[in-house]
Amino acid sequence: MINGGDSGRSGYAVTTHGLSKRYGRQPALDRVDLRVPDGAVYVLVGANGAGKSTLFKVLMNLERPDSGTAEVFGLDTGWSGPEVRAGIGYVPERQDAPHRAMTCARLLQHASTFYPEWDHAYADHLVRSLAVQPQRRVGGLSKGETRRLQLVLALAYRPPLLLLDEPTDGLDPVVRRRALGLLAEHLADTQATVLVSTHHITELESLADHVGVLRDGKLVAQMPRDELQRSVKSYQLDAPDGWAAPPELQPSGLRRATVGRVVQCTLVGDERGVMQQLAASGAVVRQVIPLSLEDSALAFLPEDPS
Amino acid sequence: MTGKARQPRLRDVLLEQVRVTWLSLRIPSLVGAGLAGLATIVALPTMTRGGPLNINGWPTWLPGIMGALLPIAVWGKDERFGPGFLWTLPVDRRRHAFTKIVAGWIWLMAGVAVFLSWLFIMVAVTGEHVLPRTINLVVSGVPPVGLVDPATVRGVPWDPGPLMRLVAFSGATACYLLGSALVLGTRHPLRWVVGLGLLSAMTAMVSQPLSTEFGMGWLAVAPGRLMELVVGSRYGLDAVLTARSETLSTTAKLISGESLRVWWGVPDLADWGIATVLWTGFGAIALWAAVSRHGERRRV
Amino acid sequence: MLFTIDPRDERPLYLQIIDQVRRALLEGTLRAEDPLPSVRDLAGQLVVNPRTVSQAYGELEREGLIYVRRGQGTFVSSTIAPDRRARRALVRGVAERALVEARRNGLGVEELVTMIWEVAAEDAAKGSHSMTPASREDEEGVA
Repeated sequence: MINGGDSGRSGYAVTTHGLSKRYGRQPALDRVDLRVPDGAVYVLVGANGAGKSTLFKVLMNLERPDSGTAEVFGLDTGWSGPEVRAGIGYVPERQDAPHRAMTCARLLQHASTFYPEWDHAYADHLVRSLAVQPQRRVGGLSKGETRRLQLVLALAYRPPLLLLDEPTDGLDPVVRRRALGLLAEHLADTQATVLVSTHHITELESLADHVGVLRDGKLVAQMPRDELQRSVKSYQLDAPDGWAAPPELQPSGLRRATVGRVVQCTLVGDERGVMQQLAASGAVVRQVIPLSLEDSALAFLPEDPS
Repeated sequence: MTGKARQPRLRDVLLEQVRVTWLSLRIPSLVGAGLAGLATIVALPTMTRGGPLNINGWPTWLPGIMGALLPIAVWGKDERFGPGFLWTLPVDRRRHAFTKIVAGWIWLMAGVAVFLSWLFIMVAVTGEHVLPRTINLVVSGVPPVGLVDPATVRGVPWDPGPLMRLVAFSGATACYLLGSALVLGTRHPLRWVVGLGLLSAMTAMVSQPLSTEFGMGWLAVAPGRLMELVVGSRYGLDAVLTARSETLSTTAKLISGESLRVWWGVPDLADWGIATVLWTGFGAIALWAAVSRHGERRRV
Repeated sequence: MLFTIDPRDERPLYLQIIDQVRRALLEGTLRAEDPLPSVRDLAGQLVVNPRTVSQAYGELEREGLIYVRRGQGTFVSSTIAPDRRARRALVRGVAERALVEARRNGLGVEELVTMIWEVAAEDAAKGSHSMTPASREDEEGVA
């Protein structure tokens, strides 16, 4: 597992130790050692599958892992479930809200009785900003409207940890931007830690400061985003026929394409060191291209079979 | 730890669940009120004529049915298995389940009280009593067959005391516990109910031919005896719900052509007491087991 | 206040913000004692981690370009005047980035400088300001 250095903050908001969970034959989580620093915005990336959502459910004590432990703010999630949940704002993957017969306003009031820290004025602000219509029946909301309601439910009591499972799913681009802007403001007001899983890595690029990549249940990379972008780059090479990446780089040699004699491959490692190794192996570096956060993270995921 | 997140008080959670349960009961209550209104209208001509309202047994099983069905209204829509919203809240899961159960029970007691009040008012207007003051006891002590000779029946004064009024409430409670245990313990409670019904129907159909086939005489009567044991025996369901008023009486036709409610045994509150303890105890244990399925996922 | 983030720019976000503030100061769009958006507002506007904005503001404060008035917000320093030093810092930044880009593409300093003069001359001849960021062709990633 490629691990980055400490963020420099004291303490982690979320830690897991060897967390494993299997559904049938597929491992959703395979000995995951997650480290989310206090106050970080940690983006969890991974292919579609149970892994990311399962992790969130374990943290909320909605699922029991097969092995391993998880802690939120130092509390074990299994033994201190209610206490842990009191400090978490959770937006689940599913987009159906509970209590379908209630109005949105009534549902918010219902939720507010469970969280003494609920800020009614802030909840009103969120409702207005996200255009949630208080008098609509919850059961009659579209997926996008439900998602917005779920965001209000998660943010209104300013919890110290936000677990967001695809929070912008089902939202149109305008609302997505507004929701993320709201999240940025929320982070400025509260020193919250955010753990968010998403398919739209691009829109979170400017918010994220840590990245984790889940592949087949394993956490294959976890580091601050600057470090990720520094250590994953695309190299364009003039390579002799039959050239193969040197063995030291081979395990992390990801994404390789060839046009004529030009090879383009994404490699992991310090740029200078990689250049030296490439030169030593007989390839001439034509260009080094830095990658966006999305592309650097995606480099750790398997390519499409096509 | 950053964040001084507090948890809600149990009292506030209970109050909120009481309010929320009312929201799910609005429609059933409306239906019930409608039915009661209909019944009142139907009985109105009899009442205005001043004649006695011949209630051949009040709907004694109704509180029991209310209790048994209420858990469906309380829990029906919420996702109780799996990652439901209920379980994401910062309350101990088992405790939270019990607050919902208690909230439902409070409304059940209110519903039974309303029902009984309506009944008493209806009957009192005509000068009758819900519970018979005199029991027409069949001297022989066995259920009569065919037409009844009035000479074989004698009136026995009956005053079970104020405790009799509790029967409806305790019966409803016992059924509520059992119903809640089923709803919380199984993912598809209706399937179990339907399945049980089908099973008993099938066994009833099959027992007779099977018994003659295999020469096991007991098989023919077994299903009937089982039903009798569970429902009509001394400490069966009827004892809990009506102190055995149903199993010990029936409406019979006299030789003279009139209808009369005849009894072959006097309902005994002692039977009711013991049956209540048994069934409520059983229900409570079943419910505890069912609720434990939803407890916090603590690792060993 | 017009701030933008260019996602294709490989500079760290906080540097982009700093450079935009510096540029605004140079152009005179921002003058002494002008208010700057709060960290919260700017983070929300740009959809950027508030810490990034704090970092940018912190750096600017360290350079003496802005200051924080308790309870009232962030303002441009009163001692600001279009500054040769600031301008030099800006040009230096641009030059450094150009050199890094050139090196990446295997180009030499002389080639780059010569080409800059050539392109500038062409641009002037056309009489238009075609060399603005919006119309610049994207050279990145092209083989």
